[in-house]
Amino acid sequence: MGEAVIVVALLLVAVSATAAVAVRDPVRQSLVLAVLGVVLAVLFTVLQAPDVALSQLAVGSALTPLLLLLTVRKVKRRGRRRRENEP
Amino acid sequence: MNGWILAATAVLGAGVGATVWGVATGPLRRRVVAQNLSTALACPALLLLAQGYDRPAYVDLALVLALLGPVGTLVFARLLAGELAGDPPRARALTRSAAGLGAGVVLALCVAVGPSRALLKLLVVGVLLVGGNLLASRALSGGMAGARRG
Amino acid sequence: MNPRTRLWLVATGGAGLAALLVAACLRLPRFGGDRHPYGDRAVHASLERHTANTVASVNFDQRAFDTLGEMTILFAAVLGCVVLLRQTRDEHRAHPEPADVARPVRRYALLVLPVALLTGLYVVAHGQLSPGGGFQGGVVAATALHVLYLGADYRALERVRPVGAYEVGDALATSAYLVTGVAGLIGGTAFLANTLLPYGTFNTLSSGGTVPLLNAAVGMEVACAVVVLLAGFLDQAVEIVDEGEDDDRAGDGHHHEERGK
Repeated sequence: MGEAVIVVALLLVAVSATAAVAVRDPVRQSLVLAVLGVVLAVLFTVLQAPDVALSQLAVGSALTPLLLLLTVRKVKRRGRRRRENEP
Repeated sequence: MNGWILAATAVLGAGVGATVWGVATGPLRRRVVAQNLSTALACPALLLLAQGYDRPAYVDLALVLALLGPVGTLVFARLLAGELAGDPPRARALTRSAAGLGAGVVLALCVAVGPSRALLKLLVVGVLLVGGNLLASRALSGGMAGARRG
Repeated sequence: MNPRTRLWLVATGGAGLAALLVAACLRLPRFGGDRHPYGDRAVHASLERHTANTVASVNFDQRAFDTLGEMTILFAAVLGCVVLLRQTRDEHRAHPEPADVARPVRRYALLVLPVALLTGLYVVAHGQLSPGGGFQGGVVAATALHVLYLGADYRALERVRPVGAYEVGDALATSAYLVTGVAGLIGGTAFLANTLLPYGTFNTLSSGGTVPLLNAAVGMEVACAVVVLLAGFLDQAVEIVDEGEDDDRAGDGHHHEERGK
């Protein structure tokens, strides 16, 4: 009975990790990745690894989305310029 | 397994499970709302787990999530402002019920903990959680409209 | 050494390693039990040195040398990013546009910045007592600064973030870790050995010998490294434009600044 919460956390991680792979657009992927980070932190907590969970929360909730979206913005701007320059 | 962990399991299974589904499918405006709700629901779950395992130190996890979760949503609101401007997300009822759940969980835990330093920490987490998520939701639905390129 | 000998050498070494690994796997403790010989020894050692958080004791005392390696990896990775994301000759810098953020968001950012900074310091300082430590706290503190970019604009962030100072801080913190290690070598027994300082009272802020010191060094290193890393990304995404790039804002009367390199 005590394992129910572990099973739920494992299922959440499995579903969101699969979704993170299945989604192809980087912007939407970064959203799924943010949620995956949160459920991973929950999984680490129920497995009694709070130090790892804290690392995951610190990195996954704001830093990773910021790095990803800044990269997308730069790449998109460059792509737009290439298209405009084409005859 | 005690009542706190049972409650956490319910919040995780129903609430966070729904947000995982919400973020994986549908238009962008739905996904950003689901991302915001995922932190709004996982944070009460972490608080319930801390109480259920009888480990006050685990409250730090909820504190960090209550601080950085809304900041993460602000990242999306800021850098996706252009995409969201034409099709702004509207999820006032959902956001408010998630905030209500967070406030309810914090109140229940405050009653269980009793007057102490832990109570103060719980209240700080509660204020950051509810305030942060309501504000992040506001930022998503137009609060960043003037910051599309900066 | 000709290729054939080299191949033989690799094959022999690989076979030996595989045999040792299999032998080790056969004698591993049973999966999923709540007793573990290594865990018991680690907990015993951490209690002996008055470190309440065993994970911190493993990271910054029993295996402090591993952490030195991890810290160097982060340092090198950020250095690589700085080199890759530098402003090249065919790029120039455009002044970032002021952003008009709704007033509640702006107020929230100003409120969260000090709270998150304090939380980061708290997580670093309590590394030897509760979950957390230098890495986690450093990331939280560095993220806190960037709330200024989200709640105001890039110019507001640039005002509190002289990148050069953070680069120096990064290097200084890495050296501080090394110096603490060498101090153990000179004043105590071995490199990074936790024999230098008194262990203090169990479950207080000053317990754990050198663990809080190393935690602080890692916290500063990580915070500075994340700030420098994000500065590279933000510069590229917000300020630096390619030569001839017709940026959206080029016509808005914003002047471009040339910076030859």
